Amino acid sequence: MQRSRNRAGAAKVLTFLGERWAVFFLLLLLIAFSLAERNFFALKNFSNILYYSTTYALLAAGETFVIITGGIDLSLGFVMGFVGVSSAMVMRDMYAAGRPEAACLIAGAAVGLALGVIPGLINGLLVARLRVPPFIATLGTYGVANGMALFLSNGFPITFLPPRAQKIGNSFLAYFLPGKGFTFFNRPEGLQSKELRSLIGIVPGTVLVAAVVLLVFAFILNRTRFGQHTYAIGGSKDAAIRAGINVPSHLLRIYILSSMFAAVAGVLYVFRSGVGNFTTMSASYELFAVAAVVIGGASLMGGKGRIGGTVIGILILMTLENGLNIAGIPTFSRYIATGVILIAAVVIDQLTPERKAGGA
Amino acid sequence: MPEAAVSLNRKGSGALRWLGRNWAVLFLLLELAGFGLFGKNFFSPENLQNILLACLPVLLLGMGETFVIITGGIDLSVGFVMGFGTVICAKFMLMLQTAGLPPGGSIPLAAVICLAIGLIPGLINGTLVARLKVPPFLATFGMYGIAYGASEIISKSTPIMGLPPIAGVIGNEYFFYVVPGKPFSFLLKPENLTAGEMRGMISVLPILVVIFFVFVGIFAFVLRRTRFGQHTYAIGGSVDAALRSGINVPAHLTWIYMISSFFASLSGMMYVLKYVSGRADAGSARMLDSVVAVVIGGASLYGGTGSVKGTIIGALIIATMETGMVNLLIPSHNRYIAIGAILVLAVLIDQFFPELVGRGQ
Repeated sequence: MQRSRNRAGAAKVLTFLGERWAVFFLLLLLIAFSLAERNFFALKNFSNILYYSTTYALLAAGETFVIITGGIDLSLGFVMGFVGVSSAMVMRDMYAAGRPEAACLIAGAAVGLALGVIPGLINGLLVARLRVPPFIATLGTYGVANGMALFLSNGFPITFLPPRAQKIGNSFLAYFLPGKGFTFFNRPEGLQSKELRSLIGIVPGTVLVAAVVLLVFAFILNRTRFGQHTYAIGGSKDAAIRAGINVPSHLLRIYILSSMFAAVAGVLYVFRSGVGNFTTMSASYELFAVAAVVIGGASLMGGKGRIGGTVIGILILMTLENGLNIAGIPTFSRYIATGVILIAAVVIDQLTPERKAGGA
Repeated sequence: MPEAAVSLNRKGSGALRWLGRNWAVLFLLLELAGFGLFGKNFFSPENLQNILLACLPVLLLGMGETFVIITGGIDLSVGFVMGFGTVICAKFMLMLQTAGLPPGGSIPLAAVICLAIGLIPGLINGTLVARLKVPPFLATFGMYGIAYGASEIISKSTPIMGLPPIAGVIGNEYFFYVVPGKPFSFLLKPENLTAGEMRGMISVLPILVVIFFVFVGIFAFVLRRTRFGQHTYAIGGSVDAALRSGINVPAHLTWIYMISSFFASLSGMMYVLKYVSGRADAGSARMLDSVVAVVIGGASLYGGTGSVKGTIIGALIIATMETGMVNLLIPSHNRYIAIGAILVLAVLIDQFFPELVGRGQ
């Protein structure tokens, strides 16, 4: 009797840990790096981690929706490259034609976002209407989008964009100057170079954009019928059909949504870096996106996953990269770390007793 | 499904069925004809052999992928395990060379070491999939990151150069050289040729093609004619049935993933022999190719079907396209568009005409 109760208690603790290990792991990482590295625990560095997380967080959020339905989207990284290249080309050409900078930027971003619908539409049609396995359909788009980006850019980054792009992309919500206090949106003017160096930007603009997008879609996933249907399809397609959900049209929208996330990431990338770049074959954005979603508690079988979990997954991966970098460990170790954590996440999920079925 | 099959049988649309079953071969012929018409010297012996050479990496990775896909799994790590193989092979060649070993010793030894170490990613993948029940997609996706990161770190993110030049001789020589009006010469290019004779010289049978087709032949035999092959199909058909009929499924699956990473490192070794360097991203584009080759070859991702013959045809389709694009001076990055499109086409045919295609062993 006593023993069985103990065992039940142990199972509960295990379940609790198994479901929330990602949060603990993130905290552990933050504490460990803060103790070990002097330069890690700094406002500037945390701002940095967020800055580099945006691209990945957006891709991973799109992937979250797809994975909850039981699918997978391998094309995200290359859709992002394709959108980045085409959006940058529009900006470059309009700027060269002497249009005002603002018009160039708006048109470029709009074209990029509009083109971003196409890969998603193709993926969605293939998966939802033609019943192609998601893995294969999006692997096809992975090739095509990559080829299109290289075709458009001829294998070179697109440069000579309006300089204001990069200015906008690297602005901060607020600036903090030790001893002088905060200013919002614009850098305080008339600073000496010494003061300028100690100026700290807080909350990069791109992070703000990404955070708003993520919050909106976390709300959609958690609180709207669209979100409910997404979980329902992932839980059981048959049940979803019987419950009257138009599964093909919902899946179509999911893949377009995921592609749009990649498009937003692509446009933000252009603003941030000031160039339009294609995605290299070994950049492995899809690895980081899938890993974050799985670390965040989703299952590839569908029906499980949350935007919040995914964001924690991305923060784990990016904190790890940042910390390893500061510690002087080769950059590419992040690929190893991500692979190991991805596998560990699945094994933990596998070993956790009485897994919850739903999970919104 | 069965009803549809019956109705089709009744209609007896034999021609359509034949078409569905052999579309890959027809596509290959069409491709050859197209490039032959529009290309320059496409059917020269040199160019045809170039197709064979170009199909080697796709075919080698595709061979391993065939075994994995037949069991109903997938191996996403092959491309980066190939890169890992090139880096290990090149690194050991350099180390053995600096240790004072002559090329005759360092090259084969490095090759053996590369193949041996190349089994490790497969062992890990297999253990994860077979014993820890990690979905193959995720296990090999993890390995994809690990293998790439490891090879970038080992190679210090720069291509490994300075290998013994004789490695390139093995990689780029042919078995025969025929100069019109002169006797054959074996293995080495005839010396003291005039420029005119040099141009007229025909090289026959690249050594690499022969070596690696031997491996492909052995494993094709294993898959078709041995109990190991039978069990592979059985597991893909139904894991439960395979278990009940007494197959040691975990052990078998572990072997399968090791075969896959063996072929990946074989392909890496080939890369080193051909380009006399090792680089982490050598195979980064090849994962897509290998899956495409296998799927064109008639395998289903649900497992249970697929054949080496089909994969060879798939690899030839990709290689012909690659060589044809070079011939027509089309920038090579357009290949990704074509390959992605072919993949989707192949699956659509499979999806729409399952009865036509009549998938089976």
